[in-house]
Amino acid sequence: MSVISDLDAVAQPPNTTRSEARKWANPQVLIWAVVLFLCLTPFILIFAVSFGHKVEGAGWVWGFSFANYQRVFVGAEWPDQVTWLYLQRLYYSLYYAVIAAVLAVVTAFPFTYLMTGLSRRAQSAWLVFLLSSLSLSEVFIVMGWDVLLSNRSGLPMVFKETGLTDWLKAVGWFDVLREWGLANPRNVKFKTSVLATVLTMSYLVWPYAVILLYPPLSRLDRSMVEAAHTMGAGPWTVMRTVVLPAMRLPLVGTILLLFVFLLGVYVAVTVFAEPAKQTMSVSVYGAVRGNTLNAPFGAAQAIVLLVTAAIFLVLGQWMNRRTAS
Amino acid sequence: MILRSLSNLFLALSAILLALPIVVVCGAALNSGRTMFFPPKEPTLSRFYEFFIAEPIWVTALGNSILIAFGSAALAVLLAWPVAYGLWAKGGRASQVLAGLGSMPFALPPIVFGVGLGFLWTFLGALGAVWAGIISHATLFLALPIVTISIGLQSIDRSHLDAAATMGATSSVIFRTVILPQTMPYTISGFFFALVLSFNEFIVMFFVSASAYSTVTLQIFNSLRNGYTPTMAVAAITFIVVSLMVFSAVARWGDLPRLMGAEPAKP
Repeated sequence: MSVISDLDAVAQPPNTTRSEARKWANPQVLIWAVVLFLCLTPFILIFAVSFGHKVEGAGWVWGFSFANYQRVFVGAEWPDQVTWLYLQRLYYSLYYAVIAAVLAVVTAFPFTYLMTGLSRRAQSAWLVFLLSSLSLSEVFIVMGWDVLLSNRSGLPMVFKETGLTDWLKAVGWFDVLREWGLANPRNVKFKTSVLATVLTMSYLVWPYAVILLYPPLSRLDRSMVEAAHTMGAGPWTVMRTVVLPAMRLPLVGTILLLFVFLLGVYVAVTVFAEPAKQTMSVSVYGAVRGNTLNAPFGAAQAIVLLVTAAIFLVLGQWMNRRTAS
Repeated sequence: MILRSLSNLFLALSAILLALPIVVVCGAALNSGRTMFFPPKEPTLSRFYEFFIAEPIWVTALGNSILIAFGSAALAVLLAWPVAYGLWAKGGRASQVLAGLGSMPFALPPIVFGVGLGFLWTFLGALGAVWAGIISHATLFLALPIVTISIGLQSIDRSHLDAAATMGATSSVIFRTVILPQTMPYTISGFFFALVLSFNEFIVMFFVSASAYSTVTLQIFNSLRNGYTPTMAVAAITFIVVSLMVFSAVARWGDLPRLMGAEPAKP
């Protein structure tokens, strides 16, 4: 705020009648430079580093080879041998992110619809609660779910104490759970499992889903809903014929944004996914700061992750425009 | 009638599920032993004493968290103002691109931006400096004040500006007397959004700090290997309380539904 007025004063010496455009020039250049430097250089650097290579015991050096990308897509031994290890990690990144994003939006949509029907005061209270939960660190959320799902306390204990485990065994569903990897011989277990990973990730973005669906739903013309009611349409018919068609774009857009956000989730995956099913962000972390220490290779993987995210965002934009026109 | 109670039930269930892990973490903070149990065994408040006063590791981490959160939020607001103002006052393609660039780090997977910032600060020789952490978070959360300030600027009645101009006010006077006061609540909201998210952010700070210093979230993640301790849960409680207070303040003095994108309240 004071920056504006200060810069204005600097750019406009007294007794000059410069045009509006010139008056703007200096502070604009400055702000462009700062934003470009801070927001763009990190991404450019990753791109540049990803062509370098590791030096044993001395970090890494600049270079220009596609070896890192080759390693991501077909493995280091190519063409003698092909490994899909890193593509598999990317696959799990996409897999978890898609399920968690869809799950979050599917459950957040009816919630937001109901919430926007409340009084403005009640909406404020809900928003405070949602924003607090949204801003809560991934670390804390994972900690909470970890306590809830761990085998020594939490849900498995509840299952055992209430006799639910015995009941499951008696009905025979216990074996099904074991096949799904959700039980050990004695009791149900949720760590480590795909279920726990996806649920936690979904929980992580659930408040985001509500916040993103809130503007379009609160601007939805409720009189249309009422009109449909008066004409004798049941609540489900109204939902299907009035609300959902109007909300198609926001729904798809929200799923896409959450999906892109979830591609980068790190803590939840390291804690809840089994080692064989970990994601690309985990191996980026491992390569840049963890035990494998190969910054250029980590950078290459980060670029692959970034391009994947960008493709989906652009796809969303394109769909947006196509539907709009 | 049935539908009404069904929908209330659904809202209540959502609230319970949303609060569940938070409640568990809070409950676990009361344990007197070194391990986390829920429900807590022999409830005590001594873990709070440890977190805030007795254990230097946590006290330093808390200090760093506060410094970085306030510093980066202030910086983000200062950077966001000219961007949002340009977008509002001039519009046009260039301003849109600038605002888009400023929001980019927030929209893309944070781990990628974190790695990039790690490289940037390494080249500038500032890796592990607290000020570099402040600038990193300011950039990451720049999108938030840009959005809130833009909403604030859009809510200004253009006729006020015309009236002021007709009465002979110069642009800087208009800015001081009309624009600034009317957008202040939105600026403050943007500041608090950035503040709270910076307080809780983990992955970017991890790459940028390079283990030279730690914030509370980093410290918790580092301690994960040794298992959970109730002291960590105290940290979590502190964070939740701070968030609740901040957002309640925003809701109290600002128009939270409007900030989140609802139609302006009808008088």
